[in-house]
Amino acid sequence: MGDYSPGSKKVDVEPSPVSSRLVERWTGLVLRLGVWGSALLIVLGLLTSWVLPPESSASTEIPSISTVLGEISSGSFGGATLMFAGLILLMLTPFLRVLIALTAFAAERDWKFAGISLVVFLLLVGELVFSLR
Amino acid sequence: MSISSLVLLFVGGTVTGTIGAMLGLGGGVFLVPFLVLAFDLPMHQAIATSIIAVIATSSAGASINIERQTVNIRLGMVLEIATVTGAILGGVTANLLDGEILRKIFAGLLLIVSIAMIWRLKMRNGDVILHTDGSLPGTFRDEASDQTVAYTVKRLPPVMLISLLAGNISGLLGVGGGIFKVPAMTMIAGMPIKAATATSNFMIGVTAAASAFIYFSHGHVNPLIASPTILGVLGGSLLGVTISQRIKGTALTWIFAVLLLAISLQMYWR
Repeated sequence: MGDYSPGSKKVDVEPSPVSSRLVERWTGLVLRLGVWGSALLIVLGLLTSWVLPPESSASTEIPSISTVLGEISSGSFGGATLMFAGLILLMLTPFLRVLIALTAFAAERDWKFAGISLVVFLLLVGELVFSLR
Repeated sequence: MSISSLVLLFVGGTVTGTIGAMLGLGGGVFLVPFLVLAFDLPMHQAIATSIIAVIATSSAGASINIERQTVNIRLGMVLEIATVTGAILGGVTANLLDGEILRKIFAGLLLIVSIAMIWRLKMRNGDVILHTDGSLPGTFRDEASDQTVAYTVKRLPPVMLISLLAGNISGLLGVGGGIFKVPAMTMIAGMPIKAATATSNFMIGVTAAASAFIYFSHGHVNPLIASPTILGVLGGSLLGVTISQRIKGTALTWIFAVLLLAISLQMYWR
């Protein structure tokens, strides 16, 4: 899309403040780690379930969150738990992204956007607590 | 679950993710019908899988767009108040509704999306009127026109209202909602389409996460279905972005708009 109206301005890009660049860098890093970390766990889960012996095929039963957490804490978990852990990491990645923004805006003393980020974060955490209670 | 089912889910995720990214729709619009029609998955499980796929594609895409500085992070945070609220309400509502009703509502959404796809073609070819006297300014380098584009955001309240609706649809039906937000951000707020698309994509991950745990707590996230599908969608969306830069999209959009119309009818009458 290269068509812009005469109302658009051709300007020199002003360098972003150091803190804004940090927000962008941290946010990008968290998103990349979340996506590729969860993809790695999912792949490991699939390999454990379908490729490695002794399981020739995986169960179609959906494990509960307490089962998953229990297996992870005990250190003895199967492919389905690894996949679940990958999916949970993926679902939590946006939470971390909002938390990073909140921290960065607060460090920047941009209280208006720190407050906005806090509202979004509280909405997300409220939904999480409500869902898993 | 057999290896063949695993491969089919992966391939289906790849194809729907590729098409979604090529058309700028995200994977959900094609993924949910694939899981319901081809895989006979219950509607709630298909939506839950799609919501997690949306988080994956949004997070992967946003990390790239942030580097390109096309994302207006401050605007995204403001609109997320509306989209997250809408998504929570949508997720709660969806889990109170019967799968049959959700399927019919989804068919209606596909009809709207197919019309919007054709309408968007005309919008893409026209000029975008940018303003420099609004709020939440943004600047990015547009490589296509070799121009640095500066803009501000106008008329935020109506865009927030539309974002609330988009978030609600996301939580209810497992789609990103960009089809509603991007036109609102360009036509009402006066943003350039690249910044609007990137900011919308940045927001949909958080929006989807807002309803993901509601579906999760109701037992609709099946890791054995979701895992191969999401890997496919993630790979497909990256492939789709690459392909879309090399092909002319007008004919493709028409073909898939008609295809979506046919899928809409099939979803309704199934």
